[in-house]
Amino acid sequence: MSVLLDHLPELWQGLIVTFQLTAASFAGAAVLGALVCALRVSPVRVLRAIGTAYVESFQNLPLLVLLVLAFFGLPEIGVQAEPLVTAIVVIAVYEAAYVGEALRSGVNSVSRGQGEAARAIGLTFSQSLRHVVLPQALRTVVQPLGNIFIATTMNTALAAAVGVVDLTAAANRVNLVEAQPIPIFVGAGLAYALIAAAVGFTTGRLERKLVILR
Amino acid sequence: MKRFVAVVAVSLLALAACGESSSPAVPGAPSEKGADVLAKAPVAAAADILPGSTMEKIKQRGELLVGGSLDAPLLSQQNPATGEVEGFDADMGKALAKYILGEPKVKIVNSASETREALLANGTVDVVFQTYTITEERAKQVAFAGPYYTSGLTIAVKKGTTGIAKPEDLNGKKVLAGANTPAIPAIKKLAPQAEIITFGSDPECVQALKQDRGVAYVQDETLLIADAKKDPSIEIVTKPFTVDPYGIGLKHGDDQFKKFVNDWLKKTQDTGVWQEIWKKSIGTVVTGDAPQPPQIGSVPGS
Repeated sequence: MSVLLDHLPELWQGLIVTFQLTAASFAGAAVLGALVCALRVSPVRVLRAIGTAYVESFQNLPLLVLLVLAFFGLPEIGVQAEPLVTAIVVIAVYEAAYVGEALRSGVNSVSRGQGEAARAIGLTFSQSLRHVVLPQALRTVVQPLGNIFIATTMNTALAAAVGVVDLTAAANRVNLVEAQPIPIFVGAGLAYALIAAAVGFTTGRLERKLVILR
Repeated sequence: MKRFVAVVAVSLLALAACGESSSPAVPGAPSEKGADVLAKAPVAAAADILPGSTMEKIKQRGELLVGGSLDAPLLSQQNPATGEVEGFDADMGKALAKYILGEPKVKIVNSASETREALLANGTVDVVFQTYTITEERAKQVAFAGPYYTSGLTIAVKKGTTGIAKPEDLNGKKVLAGANTPAIPAIKKLAPQAEIITFGSDPECVQALKQDRGVAYVQDETLLIADAKKDPSIEIVTKPFTVDPYGIGLKHGDDQFKKFVNDWLKKTQDTGVWQEIWKKSIGTVVTGDAPQPPQIGSVPGS
């Protein structure tokens, strides 16, 4: 236990990086995911195909592979960024596929009549999506989005592979000196569990507040 | 479709060819020579396997469980062609297995540096041979036989880099190091203003060095010599500036087994087996005769 207290500054610094990674990449994934969802439900066939291709490619590649590819491969064609930036972009792009699918399931839950009514009063596709469909869709996918947020938090641990010193990497470094893996990794694991529990609690509350009874 | 199949077939062939012509810096398949060395390795007298001891348990089981790596060139690397794990640490493990069992039967459990203590404590492995630097902190968790080898950290840079000749020169610069290697605390101590960037494996660190993600790469001299031999675009700029005594990790408090392993180590050194294992692994990139093995028990914690 004392080993955790002795190294609180390093572990805390790592936890902050984990927060930064999670918040920034989830924000990116939310924006990109909404776009992907719009592509997948759009009436234009080509756009739908692009959306499907996006989701299929990123859901079928392990995140670690993407991270290592982006970090070591892209510089070969002249694109090179800081480890933290690379990690945020790659995790955002990866999670966007999942966010897009979650949103689409929400869109599918909005009854067909809503879309037809929106079109009947003269709204364009993007207007009906923005004002009628998405607000209702979002309310039904609060919990799935919360789960994706939790998955994003856990996935940030892979960023250590491209040199980002997040909570996992910080715990590894402390253990290298102290050689007490059990208290150190139990401590780090508890921190992740706490984040997940907090997100789960918040989304549970939100969902109860926003639920639409159909 | 036919064309696609042809392309795949050709690339697979090319890959296979790559595998065969393995780089000269990493020993290819010295299995015959390896068998020679292990044939000479000593076997313990029956009286040394004390009843109820760890040695006896291993003998009854019929194989030695070794915590080690499968991806450390020259030390403990799995040869994809033969499936055999080769290198200095791997052969030392086999020699110890022969001492106990009469034959070099080991099962290498791929352990990461963050799990070694736990694997020893819960009995998943009997011993750890994995460039396990003896430190007083670690000695509170595990017992160390040895040291059986001494290495040190040194610095590699891209050829033509100037201004780095000693560890203190790393201050204020981006420095690459292997995750979970003693390089991290060493850099923190000698160049506290250096920004340390870590990657999981040695090839990744070399790639990062070539991509200018850091100006220098701090790593064990043996590994860096192998890297520099394979890749002429990097060079080593200093002599080792630390002393890392590698120990054989054992379960904490098992003094009987520790004495047994230390006796074995002494015998392998006296019979020249240690020196031959060195020659066919590290000695393939480091020129000259095998070094003097370190004095057993000479390090605090051992």
